Amino acid sequence: MLHWIGRRLLSSIVTLFAITTITFVLARVIPSDPAAVYIGPLARPAEIARVTKQLGLDRSVPVQYLAYMRDLFKGDWGSSLATKEPVLGGIMHRLPATLELILSAMTIAVLVGVPLGVLAARMTGRPIDVVVRIGSVVGISMPIFWLGLLMQAFLSGKLGLVPPTSRLDLTTSVLNPIPHHTGFNLIDAAIAGRWATLGDAAKHLVLPALTLAAYPTGLVARMTRASMLDVLNQDYIRTARTFGLRERRILWQLALRNAFAPTLTVIGLSFAYLLTGTFFVELVYDWPGIGQFATNALLNVDYPVIMGITLFGAIGFLSINLVVDLLQARLDPRVRLR
Amino acid sequence: MSALLSVDDLRLDFVRDGRVASHALRGIDLELGRGEAMGIVGETGCGKTLTGLSVIRMLPTNATATGRIVFDGRDVLTLPERELRSIRGARISMVFQSPATSFNPVFPIGRQLQHVLERHMGMRRKESARRVAEVLGEVELPDPERTMGFYPHELSGGMLQRAMIAMAILCRPSLLIADEPTTALDVTLAEQILRLLRSLQRKHGFSVLFISHDLDLVGDFCDRVAVLYAGRVIESGPATELLVRPFHPYTRALLQALPRHAEPGTPLPAVSGSVPSGLEDPVGCAFAPRCPLVVPECAVRPPLAEVLPGRKVACYRWEVET
Amino acid sequence: MTTGVGVPWVEPDAIAPAATGMLARTQRTLRRDPAALFGSFVLFVFLLTAALAPWLAPNAEQGRGATDVGARELAPSWAHLFGTDHLGRDMLSRVIFGARPALLVAVAVVLLAVLVGVPLGMVAGFRGGRIDELLMRITDLFLSFPPLLLAMVITAVLGPSLIHASLALAVSWWPWYARLARGVTQSLRQAPFIDAARVFGVREPIILLRHILRNATTPILVQATVDAGTVILAIGSLSFLGLAAQPPTPDWGLMVANGRTSVVTEWWIATFPGLAIFLTTLGLNLLGDAMRDILDPRSAT
Repeated sequence: MLHWIGRRLLSSIVTLFAITTITFVLARVIPSDPAAVYIGPLARPAEIARVTKQLGLDRSVPVQYLAYMRDLFKGDWGSSLATKEPVLGGIMHRLPATLELILSAMTIAVLVGVPLGVLAARMTGRPIDVVVRIGSVVGISMPIFWLGLLMQAFLSGKLGLVPPTSRLDLTTSVLNPIPHHTGFNLIDAAIAGRWATLGDAAKHLVLPALTLAAYPTGLVARMTRASMLDVLNQDYIRTARTFGLRERRILWQLALRNAFAPTLTVIGLSFAYLLTGTFFVELVYDWPGIGQFATNALLNVDYPVIMGITLFGAIGFLSINLVVDLLQARLDPRVRLR
Repeated sequence: MSALLSVDDLRLDFVRDGRVASHALRGIDLELGRGEAMGIVGETGCGKTLTGLSVIRMLPTNATATGRIVFDGRDVLTLPERELRSIRGARISMVFQSPATSFNPVFPIGRQLQHVLERHMGMRRKESARRVAEVLGEVELPDPERTMGFYPHELSGGMLQRAMIAMAILCRPSLLIADEPTTALDVTLAEQILRLLRSLQRKHGFSVLFISHDLDLVGDFCDRVAVLYAGRVIESGPATELLVRPFHPYTRALLQALPRHAEPGTPLPAVSGSVPSGLEDPVGCAFAPRCPLVVPECAVRPPLAEVLPGRKVACYRWEVET
Repeated sequence: MTTGVGVPWVEPDAIAPAATGMLARTQRTLRRDPAALFGSFVLFVFLLTAALAPWLAPNAEQGRGATDVGARELAPSWAHLFGTDHLGRDMLSRVIFGARPALLVAVAVVLLAVLVGVPLGMVAGFRGGRIDELLMRITDLFLSFPPLLLAMVITAVLGPSLIHASLALAVSWWPWYARLARGVTQSLRQAPFIDAARVFGVREPIILLRHILRNATTPILVQATVDAGTVILAIGSLSFLGLAAQPPTPDWGLMVANGRTSVVTEWWIATFPGLAIFLTTLGLNLLGDAMRDILDPRSAT
């Protein structure tokens, strides 16, 4: 087991190195004059010369690469060109807001997608199966930004059920700020025992989380259904039925455990999707997270921020895959042997 | 004493797109006494496995069954699903052909046996664990407490089949259906498993429905034998008599095809021709096209008739010696 | 009479094989599965709209980008079924013309990805060894970025435009096809008919082209259908951020972006183009599922 984890970690590290290489190439090698890109369209020659020196662009590419890697390791991911904010700090500062969104969406996806997939597999061909099948394709075909806009326009704009944007009401955040512990508004408000604030935060979270959940819910339901169908055809399920075990137990405790491995893989993939999906949701709902940081950087060609977020996203994806693999091994005793 | 199980004109059809796609069982009649072991023999596809599954109504979704299967005075085919479930695994249990795929790969063996006890006996976890260990010892698995913690892939085929048998006798059933329980094992292991089954049967007195394609094995193990051909019983009788003096030409051909009957140096005889497909519905004897003794009367199917005390055969020419 | 209860398995030889040719299966799938029918219908409408946009659109000039400031932000009516946008353009015409870049980009990206990925994957799968190892590591690398992130970054680096976005999408998409082609090739490499071809001295490129490519075509086609939908969704997303199509291109994602700030009051500006993206993607996804069922009868349920 330990050996296996070690090998898995090692290969992740190798991939990580390769990823930094890609971001390096994208940032320093592809643009014909990186220094000009760094300063922006109105750069004066003197300034370009200064930045060239500052970024070490006058040195050879391998030397630049080494310097780039050294800085990354020291936690110096550069600073935003637009705001001069340090990139890594900027990401970390916005991380809780984004995580709050992603984790809520994922929770919805699992709590809704898994049971629906199980039911659909049990009831193949029946109305509920048809609804789940079509619903799940609808989920994965949905343009997330459009869904967000529609929900915002109708549920919040027309019906006024929930607030349209941001994480908290202005009055709450200015007059009654939540003490900062974790950065997760829900948790911080609960710790402080401010229930009104907690309700406000939850209200703001509902729409963005639901929007972001559409795709992973569809994907999870689809995958759960497919793998449950496969499992329900296995000999060992026949054994369980032959021995009179209750259908509820067979479905939810036995078969689901078998079927969960592929679902877990899909959950991992969904996380990766959410990492970029949150860009759109944060834009639509004015949610102050990494996504907004990213879209602003992308539109303003704010190089250091773009590269920082790319790297961060890849690291995030890599860690999720690692966790999924570990859980996979916990779930299926046969995986441990490999 | 009344029979524990009596099967009366059991028919099973597979349906596809609303039409009957194949007749799998075309009217099975069987009777099994308490404590008796009965063998069901036949080629692949003759319906022997489906017969076994029908007894606990574990039918495929696209199958419909008619007839009567009376177990302990109640018709299994009309029993409400709930009652059926409390019979499955408790009063009637089953041992399968491939122990390796019949256990769930992600749960330890012990837990899977405990599930059955907790379901039928309402036992708590601790209690069921104690009982499982006890029964695992009864099927001669070494170190039961430790074995309980193993996952299926960590045990050998023979050990798994022992565990499967343990699972089958956990709730002291009155009927055990064994569907080719030794086919996936090598010869010495198969011997051991059979010996175990026999001693357990003697000890607990349950009836056994032993499904196999191997006449010798069935002859060894069972009190009585029923031979199936194309979804019907074509001959039945006490094992000792039937194997020594078979009446039906098909049974005779099967016996002659066994290696022990072969003359050294001559090729093994095979039953020529093949079983009619499930869709054809021959009016006459289904075996007629392959039968060496066929006569014009065979165009009308012979009924299964008791020709001697305890001996039934569905053939006009059962007395003809070959 | 008793019907089986929840044990969905059958003795393999118990059911007589029905005559199931591909055509018969296609017909049956379409008859039985309204989703497949809907998918084919959507694809048909989409292709037709793209081809006949100038004739279908009530106002072709506005579809292409001409403005009419006198008719700004009109709600849907008989004169303008989908209403008009901030520049007075008939939204129906805009949406109809939007099918063109969508189709073009979908075909271009998938084609590029297939043309790069499939040959590489086939060679890797057929040769195995070091080439295979290298290629797989490279695809791993591409696939280790969250979806769309790499495409976004490449587009930002190259500068926002529809062509750059398409290129970026193709760059981040080919590894999937390389993997698919490699998988098929590997499974066929040891097949008896390939051995036979080798024994008879058929040259390697011919084997790859004649035997392996033919077998790889169906899974690739299925994947391409599903991906065409996903590409339309992806390019719409990039356009929405302002990274792909630039005005006045009649791009659906861009149109949604235009209607974003006023979605509560002028809901139609964002709603209809988004609906077009959604329906097209949905149709292609459903069609892909149906094709999978038809081409691989085992997976049919």
